[in-house]
Amino acid sequence: MDVRLERLSKSFGANPVLKSLDLTFPERRFVTLLGPSGCGKTTLLRLIAGLERASEGAIWFGDRRVDHLAPGERNIAMVFQSYALYPTMDVAANIGYGLRVRGIPRAERGEKVGAVARVLEIAHLLARKPRALSGGQRQRVALGRAMVRKPDIFLMDEPLSNLDAKLRATMRGELKRFHLDLETTSIYVTHDQLEAMTMSDLIAVMDQGVVQQYGTPEEVYDRPANLFVAGFIGSPPMNFAEVEVASDAGAPVLRLAGRTIPVPPQFDLAAAPRRLTLGIRPQDVRIAAPGDAGAIPGTVWMTELIGSERLIEVEIAPRLRITAEVKSEVRAALNAPAAVAFETTKLHLFDPATGLALRRRA
Amino acid sequence: MRLRLSDRQVGILFMLPLLVTAAAFIVWPVAEAIRLAFYRYNPLRPDDLIWVGLDNFERILDDPLFWDSFRQALVWTGWSILFQTVLGVGLALLLHTALPGIAIFRGLLLFPYIVPTVVIALNWRWIFNSEIGIVNHALLRLGVISDNIAWLSTPDMAMASAILLNVWKYTPFVIICVLARLQTIPTELYDAAKVDGAGAVRRFLDITLPMLKEVLVVVIVFRTIWTFNKFEEIYLLTRGGPGTSTFNLAVYAFEEGMANLRLGVAAATGVIMIALLLAGTIVYVRVSGFGREEKPA
Repeated sequence: MDVRLERLSKSFGANPVLKSLDLTFPERRFVTLLGPSGCGKTTLLRLIAGLERASEGAIWFGDRRVDHLAPGERNIAMVFQSYALYPTMDVAANIGYGLRVRGIPRAERGEKVGAVARVLEIAHLLARKPRALSGGQRQRVALGRAMVRKPDIFLMDEPLSNLDAKLRATMRGELKRFHLDLETTSIYVTHDQLEAMTMSDLIAVMDQGVVQQYGTPEEVYDRPANLFVAGFIGSPPMNFAEVEVASDAGAPVLRLAGRTIPVPPQFDLAAAPRRLTLGIRPQDVRIAAPGDAGAIPGTVWMTELIGSERLIEVEIAPRLRITAEVKSEVRAALNAPAAVAFETTKLHLFDPATGLALRRRA
Repeated sequence: MRLRLSDRQVGILFMLPLLVTAAAFIVWPVAEAIRLAFYRYNPLRPDDLIWVGLDNFERILDDPLFWDSFRQALVWTGWSILFQTVLGVGLALLLHTALPGIAIFRGLLLFPYIVPTVVIALNWRWIFNSEIGIVNHALLRLGVISDNIAWLSTPDMAMASAILLNVWKYTPFVIICVLARLQTIPTELYDAAKVDGAGAVRRFLDITLPMLKEVLVVVIVFRTIWTFNKFEEIYLLTRGGPGTSTFNLAVYAFEEGMANLRLGVAAATGVIMIALLLAGTIVYVRVSGFGREEKPA
């Protein structure tokens, strides 16, 4: 079942949290709401769940309008950040609670809970109380509670943020698998772009109550719609620099730190403003020899080893530093001369006045 | 020469003030009361301390007034605790909501609890006064009653009035304890229950009440002990009367000791009260399953 938001707004007092959102979550897709703290993503999830009332707009599940319905009438399941397991009930009662509320007979309930517990490999824990479970086990109980009811929509609010890094990596895979098995529309809230990139079919990048970009992980990463998305997605973050559009023998070029960079073929700068913001991911920056004609010279400001890669920050103008992500074998001494060269096909250009990405040639 | 003490000795030294105080003001009086329960002792003849064995206990158990006082103590305690608990939980739930101005009520809440009992009891005697009391005046004006009610001078009404006073004064204690616990229940639990389809009543029964269980067990045990032993409210409000209709065991012990000068009998009554409360508390705590939760993994 798809979920459709129409001009959905939410304010707390005079403070607008969501500003007239129009968004469709296609059926059976895994959609992530990604954004920094306070961007409105959790509020949006709670609106879809019915835990908050919208100030304006409509929410549709398929062809049924649901924004006037209580959470229990929407046939959704939700996994909370803290899992919200009922501490006074054992695991079986936790998983079966939604069924009990709906008046499912005890025997049938027991069967369903048992089946779910076997799938999640927690059948041996059914008599335990939540406090006697580890983080990963609690996570599975929370999933079991969602799974047992066969929901139309599956909502998750940062369900991995309480787990340690290793378990988080395992659970990412499990959650994706769980979504595929459940065959529902899943909406997942996170501030962790790695989770969003690895798990999602679609990502809605949110900031200040507005969806900044909605697309596949590839689209969001390769063609960020604006400066916010470009800076938020990707680790380490994209390099930005102010450039001037100039002309070199009739052909437009970009001027940066006294050097010229040919305009990437994907852009047509005929109608572009004279000053632009250039963006380049550290992965698309190469360390070149100081004398390299196509490179921009500078000095090594900082190096950091991050496992198989190394980050080298080169200062190419006062207070203008470009980070390059290179193989860890590449060595660079602090304050030594170095030069950076850009993979021009991977350049991003933005209008600094609006923050929007420049249109690309089709 | 410098005094060198081991950690253990330092620890004992720090505990000494408490141990001395507890011994002087708790252990010794209790031991003395238990000892006195086996003697005949008239405070007007301090030299005349006679060992009587179990005579005091036999005398008490043969005394119809003791059994009346015991029954009345059960009525007094039972109704007081019932109303305090129900009202306390109800008002705590109300005060836990985010209604505007609710903070003022939370502040006012402790008022009955902090006013001295003497002041309250004397005020309530005026309030309940059948001729000039404000309760009768108000009820008459409202047309609820046509004749004055003898609040304190018929046995049933006197007991009811005493219970009302106790409930009024000590419900705030229950509210504070319950409110403190309510504020620690994560709101996500209620969100999860809403998603599971539970309505307000279900959420209260399945989430709130089970989470209040531990605090309610403690509150009920304490309130039961304190109410069962309560002396001053009853004595100041009704002096145990009319007749002996509002005697509880504390009033009975006081009358035996102070009015009849039979301190041995009064002490024996106290020993019986300790035994009753101890047995009652153990049974209650066992039945309620308090402290038998699983430990975290």
